[in-house]
Amino acid sequence: MRWYAGVARRTRVSPPHRSGVPAKLGGVLRYDGLMMGPVSLGVTALILYAAAEAFSIMHLRSNEPAQGSTATVFLLVGFLVHLVALQSGALAAKSVPYGDLSASMSFFAWMVAATYGILLLRHREGSTGPFLIPISILFLGASLLTHQEHVAVANPKLSGPLFAFHVTMAILGYAALSLSFVLAQLYLIQNRQLRRRNLGLLFSRLPALDVLSRLHRTSVAIGVTALTVASVLGLIWAKQHWGTYWDPKVLFTFLIIAIYLITLFPGKIGWGGKRVAFLSMVGFMLLMFSYTIVNLFITQEHVFR
Amino acid sequence: MSSSVGSPLLLLGWDYRRTPVELRERLAFPPDKVREALSAMQREGLLAEGVIISTCNRSEIYGVTGAALSGALSDRDPFDAVTDFIARFHGIPRSEMDASGYRFSGGEAVRHLLRVAAGLESMAFGEDQIIGQVREAFRLASGVGATRSVLHRLFQKALETGKRVRSETGLNTRPTSMPGVAIELAQKIYEDLTPRNFLILGAGETAAIFFDLLLARGAKNIEVVNRTLARSQELCRREGRALPWDELATRLPHADIVVSATSSATPVIPLETARQAMALRRGKPLFFLDLGVPRNVDPRVAELDNAFLYAVDDLQEIAERNRQERQKEIGPALEILEEELQEFLSWFGSLAVVPTVTSLRKKFEGIRESDFDRQLEKMTHISEGDREKIRLMAQSMVRSLLRHPTEAIKDEPDPGRRLDRAEAVRHLFDLDLDSKE
Repeated sequence: MRWYAGVARRTRVSPPHRSGVPAKLGGVLRYDGLMMGPVSLGVTALILYAAAEAFSIMHLRSNEPAQGSTATVFLLVGFLVHLVALQSGALAAKSVPYGDLSASMSFFAWMVAATYGILLLRHREGSTGPFLIPISILFLGASLLTHQEHVAVANPKLSGPLFAFHVTMAILGYAALSLSFVLAQLYLIQNRQLRRRNLGLLFSRLPALDVLSRLHRTSVAIGVTALTVASVLGLIWAKQHWGTYWDPKVLFTFLIIAIYLITLFPGKIGWGGKRVAFLSMVGFMLLMFSYTIVNLFITQEHVFR
Repeated sequence: MSSSVGSPLLLLGWDYRRTPVELRERLAFPPDKVREALSAMQREGLLAEGVIISTCNRSEIYGVTGAALSGALSDRDPFDAVTDFIARFHGIPRSEMDASGYRFSGGEAVRHLLRVAAGLESMAFGEDQIIGQVREAFRLASGVGATRSVLHRLFQKALETGKRVRSETGLNTRPTSMPGVAIELAQKIYEDLTPRNFLILGAGETAAIFFDLLLARGAKNIEVVNRTLARSQELCRREGRALPWDELATRLPHADIVVSATSSATPVIPLETARQAMALRRGKPLFFLDLGVPRNVDPRVAELDNAFLYAVDDLQEIAERNRQERQKEIGPALEILEEELQEFLSWFGSLAVVPTVTSLRKKFEGIRESDFDRQLEKMTHISEGDREKIRLMAQSMVRSLLRHPTEAIKDEPDPGRRLDRAEAVRHLFDLDLDSKE
C-alpha cells in the first residue's frame, strides 16, 4: 500500500502554498479548513467513478433501473469533480493539463468519461458501463500514482491556444477510440456467444449486436473527428514553428484515420459486423503503436517531458 | 369444511391445475362482470371488500367477509355463501364448482396471492404477464369501491412482492418456451424488432403461430412465401404480404429475420442461396430461424459471417437450460415471499381488536405519564394529597376518553368494518406496529 500512503501524505501534509495552487482557488474550495487540491479532488473523483462502476455492475446483474440511474449520477458527479481537479491543476500550470504524463493521463480519463457520457445520452444504453468506466478509473488512478509534487513549468515554446487545442483534440480522439476498442471487443464477445449458443447472464445483459454497432459507430465518429481536427491543428502549428508540415507521426495518424473511416462506412466495401469489429481493433493497435513506438523512436516531437 | 372460522380474509379459486378448461371458461369474469359481482356481493353483505382476478388460467375471489357472514349474525360458512353466490351469478351447479376449486383463509390466502403475483403459480413459471393482471384486478375492484384498508394493503404487498421477486431473483429472466427463446435470440441481434423485415417460409400451423407472435410484437414488415400461394394469402388476410415461392431467393437478401417452417424434405435454403444473399446484404446480420423438421436451412449457413442460424433442437436445448436455471431461483424467491408475507401478517394481526385497543391504551397512558404526571411533580405549591387527587382525575379522564373508541371497535359486528375502524384508529393515533410487543 505504499502508493496509497504516498497519495494520502501528499493530500494531508502539503501546505497550500507548496501544492502549487494559487491562493484564490484555495479560497473557493476551502473545505473544513482543508485545502482540496488537485490530488484530493482527483482521489474524490476516483472514488466516485469506482462507485459508478460498482452500481453499473450491480445493474448489469440485476437489471434494476434504479441502480443504473445511481451509477449515472455517481459518474456525473465524479466527472464534475474531476473537471474541477483538472481545472485547479491547469490553473497551477497555467495551461491545458498536458505538461507531464500524470496530468495528461488524468485528462485522458476525463475525456473517456465525457465520451461515455455522450454515448449514454445518445443511445440510452448503460449496460456497457461496467466495461467502459474502468478505463477512466485505470488512467485516473495511474495519474494519481505518478503525480509529481512540483508542477512542470510549461515549455514556453509549447504554449498558446493552437497547441492547447491540438493536444486536447488528440486526447479526446484517443479516449473515444479506446472506448470503441472495448465496444468492438464486446461486439465480438456477443457475436461469439450467439454462435456458440453460450447464452449466460452476460449474453442476456449485454446489448444486441445492432446496439453495440451503433455505440461503436458513435464513439469512432467522435474519435475520428477529434483526431482529424488534432492533426490539422498540429500541421498548422508545425508549419508555423518548424516551417514544415513533415512529422512521421502524420503518416501514421492518416493511416489510422483511414482505417477508422472504413469502419464508419463498411457497407461501401461490403463489410459488416465481425470484420468491422476486427478492423476497429487493428486501428486501435496502430494507434497504440503510434502513441508509443513512433513517439519514442521515430519522431522526437511527441514525447511528454 | 369450516376452515373459515377465525380469519375474515378468504380466497376461493379455480385454476388450470385443478379445474378443467370448460369450467374455467364459464367461471371467467370479464371486466364488467367483475364490477357487477363485486358490487352485488357487497350489497348482500357477503363481502366487505373484494377483488376478482380473472385470467385464462385462473378465476380467484379475494375477500374480507361482510356483515351478513360474521359469527354473531349468521352461522353460514362464508366460503359456501360466496360459492353459492358465484354459482347463481354464472349459472353453474354448486357440485361442479366444489369438485375442482380451492379455498384458503387468513395467512394461506395471503401466501397464495403472493405466489400468484410472483409468477410461481403460473403455467409458464415465473412469467411477467400475471403481475399486470393482478394490478388490473385491483384497479377494477378499487374502481367500484370494493377495496378498503385490508385488500388495499394486501394487493400493494402482492405487487411489491411480484416486483421484488423479479428484480432480485433470476426467476423470470430467461424465456422457457420455444417462441420466447427465438424472440430473445432475435432481439440480441436486432434490439427493436418492429422496423425489421421478416420473411416467413411456409404457411402451416407453426408458420401461423410465429406470424401471430410477430404481429403481436409489433412487427410491421412481414412477407410470407409458400409453395401454394393461396395459403399464404389466407395467412396475410389482414397483415403482411403473400409472395409466390419463386421469389424466395430475391426476397431473402432484404430480410433481417427469416422464419422457416415448411415441410420440405430437402433444404429450401441451400448454402449457395444463403451465401449470395449474405453477399448482397453487405455485412448486415441475417437471423435464420429454422423450425422445419427435417431442417429447411443448410446447417453450414451457420458458418457464414453475420449469418445466425438456429434450428428447433437449438431452441429446445436453450429452453430446457433456462428452465433448469429458473428452478434454481425458487429458493430465493420463496425467501422474499415469506419475508413479505410475515410483514403483511404482522400488520394484519395488529388490526385485530385486542392489539389495537392495547396499543391505543398504551399510547394514551404514555402521554399521561410522560407529559401530565411529570409536569404535576414540578408543581410543588400544591400539596401532595391534592396532587394525588389530580393524578387520579387524569387517570379516570383517560379511561373515559378511551371508552367509546374501544367499544366502537370491539362491538362492531361487521368484520370488514371492524378492520377499517382499527386501521383508522391506528392511523389517527399513529400506533406503529412495533408498539404492541
